[in-house]
Formats: sequence, structure tokens, C-alpha cells
Amino acid sequence: MRRGLPILLVLALAGCGGRMDVGSVMSAAQTMITQGPGAVTGAFADMDEPQEIELGRAVTANVGSRYKLLRDPALTRYVAQVGNVVAARSERPDLRYYFAVLDAPEVNAFAAPGGYVFITRGSLTLMRDEAMLAGVLGHEVAHVALRHGVEAIKAQKRKDLAVLGLQQGLRFTSAAPFTQAISLAADTVAEQIVLKGFSRAEEEEADRAGFQYARAAGYDPAGLRDFLAALVQRGAGDTRTSTFFSTHPGTEDRMKEQEKLLAAAAGRGQRNPDRFAKAVASR
Amino acid sequence: MRARTAASVAVVTLVAGLAGAQTPPRWVERTKADVRGGKGSFHEIVDTVVKGEQVQIVRVEDKWLFVRTPRAKQGYVFEAALSNQPVTGGSSDFLKLAPGDASTSATAASAGAKGIYAEQYARQKGFDYGVVRWVEDNQPPGNVMEAFVKEGGLQ
Repeated sequence: MRRGLPILLVLALAGCGGRMDVGSVMSAAQTMITQGPGAVTGAFADMDEPQEIELGRAVTANVGSRYKLLRDPALTRYVAQVGNVVAARSERPDLRYYFAVLDAPEVNAFAAPGGYVFITRGSLTLMRDEAMLAGVLGHEVAHVALRHGVEAIKAQKRKDLAVLGLQQGLRFTSAAPFTQAISLAADTVAEQIVLKGFSRAEEEEADRAGFQYARAAGYDPAGLRDFLAALVQRGAGDTRTSTFFSTHPGTEDRMKEQEKLLAAAAGRGQRNPDRFAKAVASR
Repeated sequence: MRARTAASVAVVTLVAGLAGAQTPPRWVERTKADVRGGKGSFHEIVDTVVKGEQVQIVRVEDKWLFVRTPRAKQGYVFEAALSNQPVTGGSSDFLKLAPGDASTSATAASAGAKGIYAEQYARQKGFDYGVVRWVEDNQPPGNVMEAFVKEGGLQ
């Protein structure tokens, strides 16, 4: 449940189309390094949605090289149904979201730009009902809907990525437009979401947003809290959860935050354990 | 008879005027926006409008606008995709640069780059792009979502 989608500076550069030669790229990058991102807002505009979706596709291909995709149409559609119900309550309900199950025993979930959301089989086996699934998917959808990758770029990664782009000798010209940029971007984003994750502040924000999405959709918003509790109960010593804990510090603090949200929220929603069991537990 | 006709014309004109006042135009301010058959991204796309195009608002439902497009198609667009003020058109360089996708038509824009760049990336890296196709092809159709929500006691 880590994971971020760092939108890359190089991709923002690519978004400038074929109008920037390497000289202007270097100049803009240097300006940004020395003066901060605000100095070059025009040249480093955020990527638009079609670009974000294309990056999401590339990252999905990359994820597919790291994990085996579980090609179970019925299970995938069930997970996607839950995800879509939650995503419809997000800040970006008009973005098409795609959900996939990865055939791995480890507990993990992550989201790529453009609405591509992944959850492992190991995560599903830790769950008891649909509310827990909605809680986890809500968290991942929030990373997409809140564009955490864009914020990550603006915050701390701009310098490294600018330098990286220059080291790669990228030329954003009409002859070599998006393909070069997407290669670097997809590699970096995939590594980020699978191995590194978002900042703690972004994780907390996604927790809060996911809580609200699930609640608005009619689910018991305790689902994420219960999932985190199940993780803690299994423990960091278990090989299936060790990766999660190593990249997700503060799980117990996140549980406490969820408790606060639950205390302030009136009523409870659906858990749908039978439907979950029929769709997931039997597989 | 003549007076009745005049009165009818006046009523029709008034109604049309009111209708016009209630359905102001909006302009697309995103690179593209999908017009869908229902209020949700999982519904089928009935048309795609691109930046600068004008749509007519038929009605407002929550944050979704039921619109009529320049191609006389009707469907839902999320409010954030539209502006109250005229927007200068112009297609994305990204869409233009996609090989085989140079058209600025709504059809081309609807699919974005259609995975062209991502597939090139996957080929270069030796990744299986079939993974992406499988994921995109195995999502629930919009017509099952309503029943899923109802059966689950959801909203």
C-alpha cells in the first residue's frame, strides 16, 4: 500500500512537445536547480491526462516484468468493481481506473499514474471482507486522484530528475519526442511505486482520502484500519509482510489516525463478507 | 385565432428563452474529455470533446453535466473538465506526435496515444505489453456496476 506515482520532470519536459532543444532543456533545468521550480513554471508544466495515462500503461508493462499478473477475469473484475465504486467518490471520478491482481504471496498494493492500480494475491488473503478491500483500494485511488507524483516532483525530486534528464542526453524534439522520455520515466516510476513508495505525509493524506471515499461509497470505513491491524498482527517477521513494513514505517500510527476518523464518523457501512468470500476466498 | 397563435408563439419563445438561460454553453478546458453514457468513468464513451470545443448543458446532476456535443451526441461530462469561459482550442502536441495518431479529431483524442508510446517502451525493454492489454480488457463493463452497487447496499 505504499507507493507513489512520481510524475517526472523529464516527462513534463516531454509534454512541451517538440519545441525544446537540448539547450533550452539544460537552461531550464539549470534555472530550476538554482532558483526552484517556480522560476520555470511555464517550461515545466504538469503533464496532461493523456500523457499521464500513457505513462501508466508503460509502468504497467514494467510492473508486469516484476510480478506475474494473475489472469483471472472473474477475480479481476470483482476487484475492479469494488475499486470503481470507491473511485467514483474520489476527486477524479471521470478518470478511467484499471485494477489488476498480481500473483504474489507478499502483501502489497500500489498505484501508477493514469489510474492503474495493483494489489497482490497476498493482500487479498489477508482480508476478510469487501470493506477491507475497499479501504486498501481507496488508499491507492487517492494517490492517483490527489496527483501525489506531481507534488513529489515539485517538492524534492526536481533536482535529481533534472540532472538525470541531462545525463541521459534527452532531446525533446519532434524526431525523438515522448518515447525517450517515457522510457526513463516509466523505469523510475515503477521503481518508485514498487520499491520506495510515497512520503509519509502523502501516505497519511491517502489514508484520510481513502477513508472518505469508502465511507461515501457506502462501505464501512473501518476497512483500512482492519487491514492495517491484520498486517500488524501477522508481524514484520513474516516474509509476506516484511517488504511492506520495511517501506511503510508508521503502520501503527496510521491505525491510530484511522481510529480518530472512525470516532468522528457517524454510522457504519457495508462489509459484504459473503460476496467477498465468494469472489476471492474461494480462489 | 391570430391572437391565440401569437400567444402560443410568445409562450414558445419564452420557454425557449428560459431553456436557453438554463442551459448555458461551457467550453472544454482539458486536452480532451470523454462524454460518457452514465455518471462514472466505467460507463461507455459516447463522444469525446477536445480543448476549446463548446458543449451545451442539458442538465446538471451532482458534479456531472449532461451535455450535447458539437456532434449532437449526448452524455455526461465531469464538471471539472469544463469552463464557463471560452477556451482557446488546440490539440496536444503529445497526441499529434503519436505515430498514426496525428489526427486532431475527437476519435483520435479519445484514445489518447492508444498505448503507442508505452508499447514502444515495452518492446525496447523486452516487456510483455500483453499485460497492459489484458488488464485494460478485463475491467467490468458499465452496465454491471449498477447491479453491483445495488446488491452490495452501496451508494
